[in-house]
Amino acid sequence: MQALGRFWLVVLLLAPVVALVALPPFGQRMVTLIGIYALMGLGYQLVFGQLGALNLAQGALFGIGAYAAALAGLPVAPLAAAIPAALAAALTLRLQSHYFALATLALASLVNLVALHAESLTGGANGLAGFAAGMSRGPSLLVVVWAILIAGVVLYARLFAGTLGERARLLREAPLVAATLGIDAGRWRLVLFVLGGALAGLAGAFSAALSGVVSPEVTGFPLMVLCLSLVVLGGTRHPMGAVLGATLAVCLPELLRELQGAWLLGYAVATLAVVLWAPEGLAGLCDRWRGAGSPKPPVPGLPASLPRAAGPRRLALQQVSKRFGGVEALQDVSLSLERGEIVGLIGANGSGKTTLLNVINGLDPIDQGAILLDGRHLERLPAHAIARMGIARTFQAAMLAGDSKSANLARALARGGSLLLLDEPAAGLADEERRQLAVLLRQLRTQDYGVLIVDHDIELLSAVCDRLVCLDRGRIIAAGSPAEVRADAHVRASFLGLAEAA
Amino acid sequence: MAYALVALGFVLALNAAGAVNFAHGDLVVLGGAVAVLVGTWTGLPGILLLPLVALALGVAGVIAARVALLPLVARPVEATFVATIALAAIIEQSLNLATGGAPSTAPPLIGSGTLEVSGLVLGRQPLAIVVVGSVLVAAVWLLLERTQTGRRMRAVSADRHMARAVGIPVGRYVTLSLALAGALAGIAGLLLGHQFLVVPTQGAGHMLKAYIAVALGGWGSVPGALLGALGIGAFETFVSAGLGDAWASAALYLGVLLLLAVRPQGLFGEPAGRRA
Repeated sequence: MQALGRFWLVVLLLAPVVALVALPPFGQRMVTLIGIYALMGLGYQLVFGQLGALNLAQGALFGIGAYAAALAGLPVAPLAAAIPAALAAALTLRLQSHYFALATLALASLVNLVALHAESLTGGANGLAGFAAGMSRGPSLLVVVWAILIAGVVLYARLFAGTLGERARLLREAPLVAATLGIDAGRWRLVLFVLGGALAGLAGAFSAALSGVVSPEVTGFPLMVLCLSLVVLGGTRHPMGAVLGATLAVCLPELLRELQGAWLLGYAVATLAVVLWAPEGLAGLCDRWRGAGSPKPPVPGLPASLPRAAGPRRLALQQVSKRFGGVEALQDVSLSLERGEIVGLIGANGSGKTTLLNVINGLDPIDQGAILLDGRHLERLPAHAIARMGIARTFQAAMLAGDSKSANLARALARGGSLLLLDEPAAGLADEERRQLAVLLRQLRTQDYGVLIVDHDIELLSAVCDRLVCLDRGRIIAAGSPAEVRADAHVRASFLGLAEAA
Repeated sequence: MAYALVALGFVLALNAAGAVNFAHGDLVVLGGAVAVLVGTWTGLPGILLLPLVALALGVAGVIAARVALLPLVARPVEATFVATIALAAIIEQSLNLATGGAPSTAPPLIGSGTLEVSGLVLGRQPLAIVVVGSVLVAAVWLLLERTQTGRRMRAVSADRHMARAVGIPVGRYVTLSLALAGALAGIAGLLLGHQFLVVPTQGAGHMLKAYIAVALGGWGSVPGALLGALGIGAFETFVSAGLGDAWASAALYLGVLLLLAVRPQGLFGEPAGRRA
């Protein structure tokens, strides 16, 4: 993604100016409403667009903001929406996609019920009217709403154009890679959810100020659907997505006035069409049409020279066991890795090699034993904390679209750990690339990195490794110098597939 | 028991598509609306409407699969979520336009009024719901567990790629599952449509209850979804007797939030582990 181009900035600034100069009060009101929906949508883009988490409570948070403005004044509204957002996010930090959607949907339904039935507070089905929201409805509201919106869009575009956007992409598309690079998914979700909620609350408060009444509809599911579809229509991550989607949502009913309620139907059909055929949304289509296009995400390359390793010195596994249901994936595994050495891990498919890397990384919890990094226990730490302590790792298969083995490795190196876990880095490489990999591995050792490498290329491992460890059905059956391990009868039978002459 | 039918259809669609079908609740409402329409048009009693509604909604399920689920299998599940939410809005708005948003009542299955069985006074409609529901649940169970078609449907939901690798036409079975889910939704709509009213905006509520039932019962587990649905029904009946409908629902949602906070994997855990 790129920062906001000049074209969009001009569009964004022109809208309120033209509205103030040229439009009648009715038109100004529409432009204000566009700004309000766009603010809610911008907040929604943070969670749904950047994190890819289906949050179904944004409409309800908008409603909370509206009620808060009616009851306690406009400045309270963002806070009033941010607090339940924070609570909900804290409760649902660990939830996977469908449970996160359910939890936010339950929260939204709860808010809607309270709005409808807590009559002493919310006025029940009649809602509230005749309150002082602390804002006039005229041009000044338009100016305030659009000033905040423009600042928000510019800030959003700047923030997500850089590393932050790249991290969000990793979180969204390859959460495991993100965790092993030290990105704390829970904290991201908390921060973005609260920020997005606060924006929704603010938008809700402005809408209360604009209309002068608040009714339970502002907390309802149709508003949530509108918010979701405006963001999808406009472009889920594009800085201008929410603004374009909101413009359509406000103007379409006016254009299709003869068709009565049909505009919502048309809107839903358009949303479905965009999901199916133009997932980048209208803003992306505009960019493509203008020839601006979004640049391809950068593919990290390997550094020209390796810095000297700095970080933890020794990793030790002590009698580690891990069970998946009835399968003993690891049994009593003890091994160590020091800085300045390359240890190769071999074994047949399913012997527990990747599981071993996963438990070191904290991706899978162990059942028994201990994992120590310079004497500090890692067993109960989350993956991102372990990565930050200095253990980097690569994965077998490319986990991002268009990613390559070397990008995978470059990312792990850029993390700056001193101990590297490499999962089948040689698989699928041509001979020349294999030679380069061997050179790189030796350079890593010279620069005092410690490398634990899983691979099936026994020749490569024998050539570069100081020690080999062979796993068979979760147990270590041999460990020692490459020559010793390769000569071991068990290893020859189980891994190398050479039956010993009886 | 009608909740059980809603949840059963929901979980079938969920397993087949690998993603939540947010339009399922609106298929239920659509079933109710079709029952109302065809009922007033032909004057047929509920019991004869049943196969008609099931057929119509089966077709609707096929359309849902073709339009919103199958084209998106290669994309993140969120794309399916959004597509089905849009589909739900399309159904809801179409019904709104067609009926003017006014509530209506579907014809009863076997006449209204009560029936006395050995001293117990039972409503005819609730009784009919329980009977039809039980028969359908048993039929679906037989289909899934005892026939080759059912085995293939389960194979598709367990591992789409593996199923394709052994030569199962995955798309066709996803469509079939959705047709079945649609038919069940339609029947549930017909049954609920007499006892409660058919209102176009009810869809989200039905969907949410089915969603909760599935989350409580263990994601993707068919018996779990049924148990979850019956549990929700019982919970609502007892709590609403004490607190009133609205607060019973509120208590349910609050309970779900707390439960998810304590046990993120659902009440009975999720069988499929996270894949690296």
